[in-house]
Amino acid sequence: MRTGYTISAIGHALVLGWGLVSFSAKPFEAPPIDSVMADVISESEFNQLTAGIRTAQQVAKPAPVVDKIGEVKEPPKDPVEKVTTKPEVQMTAAEPPAPQPPDIKPPEPKPPQSRPPEPQPAASQPPAADPKPEPDPIAEALAREEAKRKEEAKKLEEAKKREEARKREEARRREEARKREEVKSDLDRIETALLDKRAPQRQAVTGTMVNPTPSLGATTGTALQLSQDEIARLRAQLYSCWNPPVGVVEAKDLVVTVRFSLNRDGSLLGEPIVVNRGRNALFQIAAEAATRAVRRCQPFRLPASKYEAWQEIEVNFDPIDMFRG
Amino acid sequence: MIPPDVAPADLSIFTLFWQAHWIVKSVMIGLMACSVWVWAIAIDKLILYARTSRAMDGFEQTFWSGQSLEELYRMVSSRPAHSMAALFVAAMREWKRSFEGGPRSFAGLQMRIEKVMDVTIMREIERLERRLLVLATVGSAGPFIGLFGTVWGIMTSFQSIAASKNTSLAVVAPGIAEALFATAIGLVAAIPATIFYNKFSSEVNKQAQRLEGFADEFAAILSRQIDERA
Repeated sequence: MRTGYTISAIGHALVLGWGLVSFSAKPFEAPPIDSVMADVISESEFNQLTAGIRTAQQVAKPAPVVDKIGEVKEPPKDPVEKVTTKPEVQMTAAEPPAPQPPDIKPPEPKPPQSRPPEPQPAASQPPAADPKPEPDPIAEALAREEAKRKEEAKKLEEAKKREEARKREEARRREEARKREEVKSDLDRIETALLDKRAPQRQAVTGTMVNPTPSLGATTGTALQLSQDEIARLRAQLYSCWNPPVGVVEAKDLVVTVRFSLNRDGSLLGEPIVVNRGRNALFQIAAEAATRAVRRCQPFRLPASKYEAWQEIEVNFDPIDMFRG
Repeated sequence: MIPPDVAPADLSIFTLFWQAHWIVKSVMIGLMACSVWVWAIAIDKLILYARTSRAMDGFEQTFWSGQSLEELYRMVSSRPAHSMAALFVAAMREWKRSFEGGPRSFAGLQMRIEKVMDVTIMREIERLERRLLVLATVGSAGPFIGLFGTVWGIMTSFQSIAASKNTSLAVVAPGIAEALFATAIGLVAAIPATIFYNKFSSEVNKQAQRLEGFADEFAAILSRQIDERA
């Protein structure tokens, strides 16, 4: 048993030693990945970003990317040419009048039956028009007969009208369907006529000089932005230095906005300034706590390459945020 | 939030062990000791079985070479014998004892010899099988012990996540790596243990059968002798 133990112990020591040598890498050294900020930018903001300044200097036109030296191909002078050389679109023989755009509908004939039948003046008139006070049974009977007949005639007419309207509606619908069909087939024809049937190919961009690099951007774009991670890191650093006044009522009135400038090494440049004013009696204390936090926290650990983005910072010290974690 | 310029934990085996919770540490140490023990037993048994099987071969050769039993007995009993030789010595001793006190009835002799040989076989098998149970236990319990260490390590690493309020990989990974290390050691101990246990138990079976075969043969020879003398 002694030999077994000796051999086993030596073997394990060897394996462990080998593991110490070969396993001692730092395999988990992953650089923090910046999370992308999903931001909605309004049109006016975009315009502001890209707006030029009237007094700006004229900058040399950036050279376009060029693969090989050759004659400079001008873009075609007349962009319409390609369109005109196309064979004319052949319409079918029985071509109806010019196709109307599909969205313009012919004026809809109003169904007459939707209109309430106007009271015929003739029907209602006799009693009203007749000023005679004496009752005349014959005349009255006549008038009634007359009214009845008129009523019947009106009914008949109305039925006829309704029939007519229905027919017209049907015809209109048929016509519309036909037109729609026509427009669709026309669109198809146009589309096939417009298709570019040349084989796709890339042409080397020729110019007077080979220039493989695209033009450089500005050295300091103003669109530089701190990533969400960096913002969160800065915020965590600030909050770790911050002792907000505790046990305060109406803590939401104690949001202190502090603005401060930073040097390139992350140290404070000048004094932090409290931007907002609060009504709370304790606001002054909170503001002092916030400025103290900013002073205590320097130097700030921020990426030096984005100095333009953080040389001036405005931070909200919100006690609610703090206690939420 | 961990500041970005804090160096990530170095993950060598030593630091993995050193940063662990003491429970995980003790699990790791225990499993390591188990592994050493298992291999020690395995080496020991390998040597033992090889020697036993060689000794059996040698004894069988001399036994069937036509040597007289008395002579063989004198030769073998002078030194401590194992396995087949022990079987032979035990049977012969019983035989001689029955004859030294003058001719008696041979009625019970056959049975006595068989009994003695059975006991010797059992003793021999016990000797071959000793500590194999350790292998079986480590083989079955090792992964569980390692898993316990892992669960504990992951628990503590989750607690550290909760404390730092950060779920980034840099915070989670070292704790989990160190926790998994416990399972790894458990498997390292358990896998050889299981393999060796299976191999050795089949080996023990084989040798036990060989011993029993020899015992039967020898009993047959002795019974013939008894019948001749009776």
